[in-house]
Amino acid sequence: MKIALAGNPNSGKTTLFNALTGRTDYVGNWAGVTVEKKEADLRKKFSEGKDTIKIIDLPGAYSIAPFTGEEAITSDFILDDAPDVIINIVDGANFERSLFFTTQLLELNIPLIIALNKSDIIAKRGDEIDLEQLSKALNCKVITTTATSESGLIQLMQTAIQLGRQKGGQTPVQMISESDVVTDKERQTFISGLSKSLFIKKKASHHITLSDKVDRIVAHKYLGLPIFFLIMWAVYAFSIEGLGGYVSGFFNDTLFGEIIPDALNGLFESMSLNPLLHGLIVDGAVGGVGAVIGFLPLIMVLFFCLALLEDSGYMSRVAVLMDRYFKKIGLSGKSIIPMIVGSGCAIPGIMATRTIEDENEKRITSILTPFVPCGAKLPIITLFSVVFFPNSSWVGPSMYILAFLLIIIGGLLLKRLFVWENHTSFILELPEYKVPSLKHAFAQMFDKAKGFIIKASTIILVMNTLVWFMQAFGWNFQPVDDQSLSILASVGGFIAPILIPLGFVGWQLAAASITGFIAKENVVATFAILLATVSEDALHMPNGILTTLFNPVTAYAFLAFNLFTPPCFAAIGAMRSEMGDRKWFFRGLGFQFSVGYVVALLITQIGSLIFYGEYAVGFLPSLFILAFYVVLLFVLIKRADRKRIV
Amino acid sequence: MILTKAKVGQTHEITKIEGKEKVQRFLFSLGCSEGEKITLISILAGNYVVNIKDGRYAIDEAMAKSIVLAD
Repeated sequence: MKIALAGNPNSGKTTLFNALTGRTDYVGNWAGVTVEKKEADLRKKFSEGKDTIKIIDLPGAYSIAPFTGEEAITSDFILDDAPDVIINIVDGANFERSLFFTTQLLELNIPLIIALNKSDIIAKRGDEIDLEQLSKALNCKVITTTATSESGLIQLMQTAIQLGRQKGGQTPVQMISESDVVTDKERQTFISGLSKSLFIKKKASHHITLSDKVDRIVAHKYLGLPIFFLIMWAVYAFSIEGLGGYVSGFFNDTLFGEIIPDALNGLFESMSLNPLLHGLIVDGAVGGVGAVIGFLPLIMVLFFCLALLEDSGYMSRVAVLMDRYFKKIGLSGKSIIPMIVGSGCAIPGIMATRTIEDENEKRITSILTPFVPCGAKLPIITLFSVVFFPNSSWVGPSMYILAFLLIIIGGLLLKRLFVWENHTSFILELPEYKVPSLKHAFAQMFDKAKGFIIKASTIILVMNTLVWFMQAFGWNFQPVDDQSLSILASVGGFIAPILIPLGFVGWQLAAASITGFIAKENVVATFAILLATVSEDALHMPNGILTTLFNPVTAYAFLAFNLFTPPCFAAIGAMRSEMGDRKWFFRGLGFQFSVGYVVALLITQIGSLIFYGEYAVGFLPSLFILAFYVVLLFVLIKRADRKRIV
Repeated sequence: MILTKAKVGQTHEITKIEGKEKVQRFLFSLGCSEGEKITLISILAGNYVVNIKDGRYAIDEAMAKSIVLAD
């Protein structure tokens, strides 16, 4: 049996879905968090055993006629895939609006049951809804629920399963229409009438509330942006420098730096294990994966804070705030949501661009979203700031500010480079603020932690083993004494010349960047493996072993290079499928690579002149490359201008 | 009168929605259509926050200009 959850955006479908199935899918207090349909089995405690029941969570929609891409998923599914029962989640906080979609769903001849959700808000407001009359007027059962506290869910599922077993249809509502087809206008009239007779509001909703007053401050013309930066700075300072950084420091320096390797070394020596195998385990697997897993506490603290922030309802206000700036680069406030999601991981971020109705705005957003440093890039940022800038706290935040600037500059450039008509309109629902749920934040945190550990123990472990092998063996598959004769050195050496204008000298840097495309954490892991043979010290020591490869300026440039060139392969794949257009996809990749490359080049060359008063390596070639990009930009902009006139 | 000319805190009846049909349909599904009431709650960073039925929405200036109100 298939039971679909359908309803308005932010009415609590995914919260209900998680409660019903035991999953921990991403929930946020804003419209448009769910952008794809999701299926899972109903938990045993609701399904009463016997047959398996599938629950399908659908993206929110205001109407069966789709406005954006993710709404189309919902109407396509309901119309083509015919679930056995529809649970229509009616948002108790927005009762009358929700019923519009309800009246449309009632006409599909699929058994329907209404879950009047957020009943706690109805109670808190002191409103009253005559459930019996509602059920009678719509010919369907109505059950009050509060998905966050799981109240009413058992009754809801019992009724739904019963309806599904009866295999009946759904009697449509008799509205005033004389013809067979009900117009939308008639629907609204019907709903207004219904709402007047059975919905008693204690307080009209158009009064200015506390929530509105808070909005006037946090989305203020001038104050809004500084407040946003302050909040984000606090979140990152607490996660990276504060609690998260403190625990991660212990993990990196002591646990994976001393305790575990020392114990293993002792053990293997007493067993007189083959030194190659010994090296593979201690330097390859433990060293590489450990260098990444060490950042787990930091990532957990960060996601805990972000979950609290999202749950409060603040993120919708950020979208409103950013709309003004994003309009200038041909986007709208809607583009900020993929970017905020992208600060966790670029893949769901890119997928979140589905909520954007304008096709070109969507493409530009998916090109720019990976510029936001994702969770996987955090280990690189933290490692480099600890080693090269041990006494300053500005390096991490500066990467986020640089990302913000690059998004604005990138947007401006893309607007000049490519011709498209821009008629973006912006409308976003502002949910009421609420006290964020700790339970929710913990659930999100552990979910992210699980994902991180799985990634580290699969793709990163495999990659590390491969990297270790490639740096220990030559092409003749014999162990090499000198790392620079290894397979990895020759592969890295092949790419290395491209990086010389950026001041990056050495095959190790090229090798680390390549492994970063598999997963960004690999950059850290690869350095850990490569340098393990050179030094006994942990990779994360201030002014440690990494200083043999970089000076602070080139380290900062290397950071920028890894952050702003195209993301990992998985995210590149997401870009490809969301853009749905080969030409745009390659334009996007080319653009991302150029941005990362030029930014790193400028940091190295200008930084070296300012801080060391000398030309960095590759100064001359870098001038040629800059000249090439200037000419390229000039030509492309001219070409685009000509197209615009025609 | 168009919405951008309304005063903060005032409630008006909508007489007409102009602009693209797709946007009109979308606004309709929110309950923003002829004959309905709309309240301007605040103007935030260039966006108009309105109350329609029980929902708060932020809409940009271009969209706000397409909402025509009774005087």
